[in-house]
Amino acid sequence: MTAEAATTEGSASAVVGRSEWAIVWERLRRKKLAMISLVVIAVIYGSGLFASVLAPYSYTEQNLDRPTEGIGADHWLGTDRLGRDLLSRAMYSARTTLIVTVAVVLSGSLLIGNTLGLIAGYRGGWIDNAIMRVGDIFSSLPGLPMLILINAAFAPRVTEWVRDIEDRTPLTGLVSSGFASYLIVFAALSLFSWVGTARVIRAQVLQLREREFIMAAESLGASRRRIVFRHLLPGVSFLIILQVSTGLGAVAGSEIVLSWFGVGVQPPAASFGAMLFEGSGARTFQAHPNLLLVPGIIVTLLLFSFALLGDALNDAVRGR
Amino acid sequence: MGAYVVRRLFWLPIILLVVSFATFAIARFGPGDPISVAAGQIRDDEIVAQIRADRGLDGNIFEQYQDWLFKAVRGDFGESFQQRGFTISEIIFPKMWVSAQLGMIALVIVFGLGIPFGLIAARANGTWIDPFVIGTLLFLQAIPVLVLIPPLLWLFAVQFDLLPVGGWDGLFDIWLIGGVIAIPIPDPHLYIPLVAFTLPGFAGIARLTRITALEVQQEDYIRTARAKGLPESSVALRHVLPNSLLPLVTVIAFALAGIVEGAFFVETLLGIPGIGRFTFQAVTSRDYDAILATTVIFAAIFVLMNLAADLVYGVIDPRIRVGVSRQ
Amino acid sequence: MGQNRILAILLGVLAALVLVVGGLSAVLLFSSDSDNTGPTGVSSGSNELQRTTGDDEPSSSSSGRLRLGGVDPVTLDPHLATDASSAEYIVEIYSGLVTISPDLEIQLDLAEAVDISADGTVYTFTMRENAFFHSGRPVTAVDVAYSINRATSRQLQSTVARAYLGDIVGVREHIAGVADDVSGIEVIDKRTIRFTLDAPKPFFLAKLTYPTAFVVDQQQIESNPRNWTRRPNGTGPYRLTEWRLGERIILESNARYYLDEPPLAEVLYTLSGGSALTRFENDELDVAGISVNDIERARDSTSSLNPLYSVWPQFTISYLAFTTDVPPFEDVNVRRALGFSIDRAKVAEVTFSNMLVPATGILTPGLPGYVDEDKTFPFDPDAGREALAASKYEVEDGRLIGPDGPVPIVITEAGGGAEARIDTQAFLEQWRTELGIEVEIRQTDFATFLSEQDAGELQMFNAGWIMDYPDPEDILDLKFHSTSQLNELGYANAQVDSLLERARVELDAELRMQLYRDAEELIIADAAWLPLYFSQSHVVVNEAVTGWFEPPMVIPRLRFVEIDR
Repeated sequence: MTAEAATTEGSASAVVGRSEWAIVWERLRRKKLAMISLVVIAVIYGSGLFASVLAPYSYTEQNLDRPTEGIGADHWLGTDRLGRDLLSRAMYSARTTLIVTVAVVLSGSLLIGNTLGLIAGYRGGWIDNAIMRVGDIFSSLPGLPMLILINAAFAPRVTEWVRDIEDRTPLTGLVSSGFASYLIVFAALSLFSWVGTARVIRAQVLQLREREFIMAAESLGASRRRIVFRHLLPGVSFLIILQVSTGLGAVAGSEIVLSWFGVGVQPPAASFGAMLFEGSGARTFQAHPNLLLVPGIIVTLLLFSFALLGDALNDAVRGR
Repeated sequence: MGAYVVRRLFWLPIILLVVSFATFAIARFGPGDPISVAAGQIRDDEIVAQIRADRGLDGNIFEQYQDWLFKAVRGDFGESFQQRGFTISEIIFPKMWVSAQLGMIALVIVFGLGIPFGLIAARANGTWIDPFVIGTLLFLQAIPVLVLIPPLLWLFAVQFDLLPVGGWDGLFDIWLIGGVIAIPIPDPHLYIPLVAFTLPGFAGIARLTRITALEVQQEDYIRTARAKGLPESSVALRHVLPNSLLPLVTVIAFALAGIVEGAFFVETLLGIPGIGRFTFQAVTSRDYDAILATTVIFAAIFVLMNLAADLVYGVIDPRIRVGVSRQ
Repeated sequence: MGQNRILAILLGVLAALVLVVGGLSAVLLFSSDSDNTGPTGVSSGSNELQRTTGDDEPSSSSSGRLRLGGVDPVTLDPHLATDASSAEYIVEIYSGLVTISPDLEIQLDLAEAVDISADGTVYTFTMRENAFFHSGRPVTAVDVAYSINRATSRQLQSTVARAYLGDIVGVREHIAGVADDVSGIEVIDKRTIRFTLDAPKPFFLAKLTYPTAFVVDQQQIESNPRNWTRRPNGTGPYRLTEWRLGERIILESNARYYLDEPPLAEVLYTLSGGSALTRFENDELDVAGISVNDIERARDSTSSLNPLYSVWPQFTISYLAFTTDVPPFEDVNVRRALGFSIDRAKVAEVTFSNMLVPATGILTPGLPGYVDEDKTFPFDPDAGREALAASKYEVEDGRLIGPDGPVPIVITEAGGGAEARIDTQAFLEQWRTELGIEVEIRQTDFATFLSEQDAGELQMFNAGWIMDYPDPEDILDLKFHSTSQLNELGYANAQVDSLLERARVELDAELRMQLYRDAEELIIADAAWLPLYFSQSHVVVNEAVTGWFEPPMVIPRLRFVEIDR
């Protein structure tokens, strides 16, 4: 049985002295695709982190005499409509994505759904009912329209508050980098999006808890905590990893949609969403494909790498 | 079971009330109002104030909500500011229908293709087929819609002139052969939106199916079935698939509810007169009645779909007892 | 077995879905022949209007049929319409006492004569005898009186009524609900109607060309108050014979039109469908607009589009505006500095492919009072830096520092994503390099933008103005007089005010235009607005079409168009 295998692994490793995570990492390292993905993600986020050092031009430096150039010696990836270097803007866009990812993680949106799903599925009864009904309400609210309305209503106040904090503390760049608005937005988004994850996890837990090994553990008097962590969690871990990796990967996608509404980092700061919008349109693509392809390929690679990594991680955790 | 259904249905009106009130409150609370948006560049502050007063937009929020509620339960969703002279029902139902048509076909394709692909990949775990299928699927899923559409449009609509650039013309078109034989074919306006919907969608479903199937495959009863000499296809269909269904059912329920909601991005980019685009426009113009109407309808559908999903859990795996607490 | 049962259920659900979708679509397909039923049709409502001949396809052949792209009008009620898309249909379906000719002259329409009293406050119109509604009923002065009363009524609550008809005595009381009808309207006899104004306003006739003054059918409205706009009984050169929401609108010529039946028998507007140009090239549309993406092809003398391409100036101006009573823009030198430091011509070339022209003033070309000279700030960064030095602010680290500390500058824009304005980003960079000032962009959604603009909360913003009638009063007075409701900038210049007030009542046309020109010069020098561009309309027109033109503002034009097919 899988759960037993995990327990045996655990005890075996306790004997040998390596942690479970070290074993998982070992397995992961052997998967070439996973390693490549890790490198790709590191490169993209890394260039974002060090954009101010690495980028050949600033992201606002325009040259109205050389717009929409293709690949060339001066501008390796070409220029956009205002003659701004695409390579540099791509790096700064990666920085924006990094900021958004941090905001997403800090807002807890990745964990809420999983946690609530576990609780609802395992405890059942009125707790399940309560969580699911609350979930019904939140999931029935139209996410995107609500987001626009919430943003319109609250963003100014929260931005003022954050600006205040910036003035009083050594922290700077919170507002201008868009971090503040992303935090609001993702906190709001998490309110609406936890339900899907919760339902999937809950369904799996519902199925697992009726299994013999759970009943066995219970009848042996195992504490609830032990049952959840030792027996249930491994059984849903593959789904959790799937959700988290998809969620992290989707950050880039969310940023694009948010750019559509003018939420998040403001122009002329670079973001993949902004770059993509400049390049969208069939005829624009025909005339200047690099406007779309530069941000498009990078974002696709990022999402792809997160997905591959997630799958590989799943395989590694489950002993494959 | 029957009692359970009744208990769940009892929640429906409560949820609708909460959802509609929450939407109502947030919409009113934020800046902007539909009259100013509709008024255009010549604003007449006094008249705008007068209209606000007449429409009850200034009163106590509970009274306003009550007014709306009494009309809504009778099916009167009010009139739209974006399209005057038409009731909201007249406007949104045709649009919902458009979105639903597109969505249902996409759903059929997504699950029809996704589940088999996922099963194949799981079955081939360990060989080169598995990573190949998964790699392709993941790559397809990773392409954002905004990146996908312009090249497709360029290739098929501009370059080769095979497909129209957006728009909507119903589900079927007639293809005349020799001017005599008429064959109904899917309308060309559908192809690009369908690709935009299904490509990421079916990859997601395939991935989910595969990963669940992989879990299931390691179960004892699967090994037993194989040991008994059952052909693989039989094992897959009769044992692996049914047990992998649980997460899928959840996703199906969500997806079914979602198709009525429409996908505003694709609809806006491709000029499809669906409900997604309309909802977005309603929000930006603060068309309160339209926002409320669409919200309430979606909410009702969501709740019903979730109920259906929970019931299906019970059918699929009789061991699951929904609504029973632990200890 | 349980598993088989589940599979069967699944397959069944799938089959059901397919059947439902297929079946319903088949039903729709076969039912789309009827004009007024089906989920996408709009019921015609009952009124005395004659039924259309033909259902889905017009009965006549396609000769004499013009195919255009369009959008659903927000409303077809002329007294409520505030947007151009509605106006485009309204000016063809309805008409009023006066109209605007293609040469932008005010022309008599339903009226055949007008007499203006010596003091300029009394306008007496004599109506033509051969004016009829589409249904055949003759149009009388009573109908005109009814229409003006309805447009300004308390129940209708039209947001534009006061602006366009407010000069008539008694309108304000009527709108407020204090008076039952407008006292300044007098029906002398069946063909004569008299308006009394509250002051001698020379722009009154211009305002009457706007849809708010169009004639509507009292009988139709009273018998079908909710749905009459779906098949309106108007007086214009065209009748609305079909309106399928989101799909199409068909206008057919009005045989009874008093200026002779229009030569173009039918106009079909297709309301759905993607790129207009692609449809034009597929011979599905006869006229299409050209966007930035296609302009190169249209201008290329070797392309097939080129001979069909034409450019038409518009009465539309886009500008940057400053709120002149908040720092740092209460200092005119700061405003001037920003104005000198942007190269609009270059930006128009690079970001708009010269589809717009840099504005030379506030009055657009073709307007009375327009003079062809550039009164705006040229691109002169040195002058900009001088102006900044002369102001009470200093630049440090990209920020403006005033006597009370740093003053951030934020420009607010409506819309983001695909609608984000790229020219603003270009200007930002020019302000940074030429003046060393960092300006921040803030995107909001449209409704929020409007509400903040109305409240005067926007420090600096981007906006546009479309002329409603061809008179400088429509823009100079409405936007810059210190007491005007539409002056969101807090702009107040006593000299400008007095010039505008004198121009309001000046009956000598020459003198009046000179007053407006003087006011325009002062306003531009004050830099409350930085006029950016004048818009143009770029279209390609099928060779079979003659007489097509793109007027600078919405005026009736279909009756001048012919198609040879």
